[in-house]
Amino acid sequence: MADEVPRSWRDPDLLIKALPTVLLQTTCFLAPLVMTFLLTFQRSRNFQLQWSWDLWTWTDVFSKPHYWTILGHTIFMAAATVAICLIIAFPIAYGLATRFKAWENEIKVLITFAFITDATLKIYGWALFLDKNGMANYALSSIGLPPEMVAFLYTDWATLLGMVYSLSAFAIFTLYLSISNIDRSLILAAYDAGAGKFRAHWEVTLPLCKPGIWAGSVLIFLLSVGAFLEPKVLGGGKSPMSAELIRQTFETRVNWPLGAALTLVLMVVSVFIVLLFSRLIGLKRAGLAA
Amino acid sequence: MTKSWYSDLPQYYQRQIKAAGLDEAGLTRRRLLKGMAATAGVAMAGLSSRPSQAASQMTYMCWEGYNDPRIIDPFRKANDVEIAFDLIVDSPGGFAKLQAGASREVDLVSSDMPWITRLGPAGLAQELNPADYADVYATFYDQFKPPFEPLLNEGKTIGVATRWGWVGPCVNTDLTKPEIWKSYDPVFDDANKGKICVMDWGDWPILPMALHAGIDPYQELDQNALEETRKVLRAMFKNTRTLVADLTQAQKGLLDGSLLGCIGAGSYLTSAVRKQGHKNIIAVVPEPKNGLKQGIIWVEATAILKDTDQPELAQKLLKHVVSKESGHVLSLLDSTCNVVTNKAVEALYTPEERDILQADYMWTAWDNSQMHRIAPNIDDMLAIWQEELAAAQ
Repeated sequence: MADEVPRSWRDPDLLIKALPTVLLQTTCFLAPLVMTFLLTFQRSRNFQLQWSWDLWTWTDVFSKPHYWTILGHTIFMAAATVAICLIIAFPIAYGLATRFKAWENEIKVLITFAFITDATLKIYGWALFLDKNGMANYALSSIGLPPEMVAFLYTDWATLLGMVYSLSAFAIFTLYLSISNIDRSLILAAYDAGAGKFRAHWEVTLPLCKPGIWAGSVLIFLLSVGAFLEPKVLGGGKSPMSAELIRQTFETRVNWPLGAALTLVLMVVSVFIVLLFSRLIGLKRAGLAA
Repeated sequence: MTKSWYSDLPQYYQRQIKAAGLDEAGLTRRRLLKGMAATAGVAMAGLSSRPSQAASQMTYMCWEGYNDPRIIDPFRKANDVEIAFDLIVDSPGGFAKLQAGASREVDLVSSDMPWITRLGPAGLAQELNPADYADVYATFYDQFKPPFEPLLNEGKTIGVATRWGWVGPCVNTDLTKPEIWKSYDPVFDDANKGKICVMDWGDWPILPMALHAGIDPYQELDQNALEETRKVLRAMFKNTRTLVADLTQAQKGLLDGSLLGCIGAGSYLTSAVRKQGHKNIIAVVPEPKNGLKQGIIWVEATAILKDTDQPELAQKLLKHVVSKESGHVLSLLDSTCNVVTNKAVEALYTPEERDILQADYMWTAWDNSQMHRIAPNIDDMLAIWQEELAAAQ
């Protein structure tokens, strides 16, 4: 077993090595964040920023329920996207890692191509496909089904479909990595101990996939809360999510302090949810260990 | 003898600076930024092309279409100037960008008139002397000649009107009769539930709805008037099938019949489809209701930025943009077709082009419309819009 080297922040070698990262984070992340925070204490009047240094913007944010309605809707949609992506991605990743070894690379390339194709192109493609006079209805009616059977464009379901389609690759690849790294002998040991396929899967494979599930979930959740194209194009803009609210506040209302406050609220809530779930999973692990 | 910024440098470099013409205007921040932009442009072009040989450089912030090569190339060649474009996708966004510091790099801006007028109180636009533009105004429609009140700030002219059109219901005449749209009532008709499209273009759909509620949004509004606006927006959302920010989505919906009418747009939306032969798509203006005109005339205008280091060239470009030849191109673009403020352009239209532009209808639309300008309570109305949209989920 390799000796662990105790590292301290007083270690000059470590400090020098960490300096570029610290500088980059400070200038490119922390400084803009602090400026955004300071902006929230100003006001916007007649589309112009006024340096007022008061709590007017924050009072507005906490007194208007519709900001929180939209935020709640955003969190719900993001959570639903995570759940659906994981349900879809798991069998694909499992099959990729265990059953379709011969076609593994081809399938990965196909998924990657779908993933890296321009998001605007994909979303408008779905809009055309799901349209009343789109390909889906045309195909269904051509086999004798009633016209306009697919009628969920401009609903939350269409938004969800777009988000799942755009983000499921994150879950597929993180789960694939986790499943690929599972020691097959552990599963065989479970079979030897009398476990059936389902039980071995439930008690061995799934717990060992947790890092992949967690990584994929965090990526998808954080990208989902920032989604704006899907709710706008596929959802018909009638159920706006937080990103669209923020864009509208910055651009249409030219209210930068309010936009900055809404951005910070979204960031804080998102990070809080991620940390909360991280903590819950950690507690569960501790409980299992006990 | 005055000391220049480069006089401490060796003689060789001083000669180079003089040869490059940098000694006359001095190396200002603007010039440095433009130089950097040009260098970056060359780098992006794969380092294969030589740096621009043009005598001067300008930056033009405008809607797509104003940068059409048929408009810009003749000016560029005639004046030996390289023009960089900063294309705006929405007027408030362009204004915000200028306010955030882009006004130091931009020389000329073409945007929606209220946002051009706002450049005045924001201290970003140069005040224009109408006498300097007498040659331009000579060929304008009388309605846009100075003093053109919507473009005045404290009595001073901020910009020159370029292109215009009207806001009213956009409909497909194969599916609905234009007579039905003599008011905005069909928007609230239960029979049209799920058939109404609303443009997600900031204040554009809000203002017609306020007018329908009997409120003049261009006046200072009290709480009661704002509450009436809230009610009419709430009712509108009940029948709304989709809010779209993209013209093509609305155009497609009108063409295929999935949308009966589109609110918050007008000639800007219909003209490009009409150019493609779909003359059944029209933009109408409802009739006045209780003495309140229901249509809205939008105007685009061009202003010169106060910080420009090319005031003469900026003025020349402004005059060029509103000229007869440029106006003809500007009014018949592929993305959108709209009438212009220069009356002389009318002589260049073919009957087909007049039909595309609904030119025979334009003064009817004008007579039944309000002139779009700064709405004092627009921020309150936008906040109400956000609240009602969230409540409609």
